[in-house]
Amino acid sequence: MALKRRNLIISVFALAATAALLLWRPTVLIYGLQAAGLYAAIAIPMGLVLGIVHIVNLAHGEFMMLASYATYFTCKALGMDPLIAIVPTAIVTAIFGWIIFQLTIRRALKAPELNQLILTFGIAIVFSQAINLVFTSQTYKMPLDYVSASMDIGELTFGIWSFVFVAAAILFAGGLNFFLKRTTTGKAALAVGQNPKGAAIVGIDVYRTYGLVFALAIALVGAMGALFLTKSAIFPTVGSPFTMKSFCLVAMAGVGNIPGILSASVLLGLTENFLRAFRGSREWADIVFFVLIIVVIMSRSLKGRKS
Amino acid sequence: MLKIRGLECGYGRMRVLEGVSLDVGKESVGLFGPNGAGKTTLIGAVMGMNKLWAGEIEFAGRQIGGTDTHLMARMGVALVPQERELFPGMSVEDNLVLGAAYIPHAKGIIPEQMEKVFALFPILKERRKQLAGTMSGGQQRMVAIARALMSNPKLLILDEPSLGLQPSIVAEVFEVLRELKKTVSIMVTEQNVRESLKSIDRGYVLENGKIVIEDSAEGLRTNPYVLKSYLGI
Repeated sequence: MALKRRNLIISVFALAATAALLLWRPTVLIYGLQAAGLYAAIAIPMGLVLGIVHIVNLAHGEFMMLASYATYFTCKALGMDPLIAIVPTAIVTAIFGWIIFQLTIRRALKAPELNQLILTFGIAIVFSQAINLVFTSQTYKMPLDYVSASMDIGELTFGIWSFVFVAAAILFAGGLNFFLKRTTTGKAALAVGQNPKGAAIVGIDVYRTYGLVFALAIALVGAMGALFLTKSAIFPTVGSPFTMKSFCLVAMAGVGNIPGILSASVLLGLTENFLRAFRGSREWADIVFFVLIIVVIMSRSLKGRKS
Repeated sequence: MLKIRGLECGYGRMRVLEGVSLDVGKESVGLFGPNGAGKTTLIGAVMGMNKLWAGEIEFAGRQIGGTDTHLMARMGVALVPQERELFPGMSVEDNLVLGAAYIPHAKGIIPEQMEKVFALFPILKERRKQLAGTMSGGQQRMVAIARALMSNPKLLILDEPSLGLQPSIVAEVFEVLRELKKTVSIMVTEQNVRESLKSIDRGYVLENGKIVIEDSAEGLRTNPYVLKSYLGI
């Protein structure tokens, strides 16, 4: 009861804050949501891997970076639009992710968590340094017209292309929810995440499931790599802030909580853009967000200790 | 059905089973013994969870020593583990469906199997939408047994099914086992020897990794050693 009432107060407060923001600086809300979509769409696959395979994949953003490079050079060579490359990129990165899983992560599943962290961190460094060696630290960008599409409402003009990230986030969250709750393979994956020993005794191949879930997550992040390329320039370390932010969002939401990732992303996107609205305060955006994360995680662990 | 010969098994450098041989035919077999005798280790060896150090295990005419757990399940061995090992965040119904969904000879008959286990445990039908993790220990044990039965097994292995249950539910569980042995081979480990002797055909007593007694249920009930050590008479 007390919890319900508190949730109500929080949502009323959030609605009021959103309305005030909309009146004061509509673009903060719009660009905040667009950024939230990008963050959420990248964080959701990481949450999937953490929730089911129980691995913190510190190479998450680097998988996306590789997908962006692969898409860039393929599209350049074939004169293709990156949007057409989304599905093929997802398939290729899924296979690549599966191979990386079998070669490395599978062997560390029973290792201490610290070793797993070092392993995926190492993979991240190998990926970004390999790209750095081959393509140097030069940035690449796709020149695309439709990215600068904008919309006018009254006196307000704003870019609308980045709403595709919001669409991607909603698609990923909805699709995964359907997969995990409604399909047999998805239920089996959820079962493996909740109790691998129990899953094995009902005939589920636990390691195969881990490999499939990891490949699926890398497919999603690969699709995001192609989509990300439409909007942004890419360089060897373009993925690492996304690894860090995804990890924070997943930690903030709690393991296995996809709706939580969405709301945490909205918070991150709005905070960043709210601070950017003030001249000279851009640099504060990350600081404020990470202080927020520390507060949320501390309050949750205090609550956990009490109960 | 199940044939174990000279099984040695252990953890690290500690040998737990020191050459165990036993058979389970089309019958219900009890495996008794104190804590640490090696009952759970033996089940782990059959289910491919523990490595065999020596010896052979044969199931339905096939050598199975060291076969992966999920393949054992698909061959028709269903386990009700001591710790139940349910999927706590999923409904009773989903737990039951997953009991059959990956078993080749059961996945086509899920509704029929579901009716069968609901007939055995009517309470689970009432609670099929409830999350398994929110149920009482006794009800979770029922879900674990029901999930195992969903796979339409050839051999059902139960590890301490009465552990931590209130007496009325213990009686219900053994009643179900008596019913089940008509159709499926059963191997059950128990510390509650008195109650389980009523529902088995034969039994083994395992102590310090060795079989010390092998007899019919009637023979065990009148065996002076069993009377003194396990029935407290």
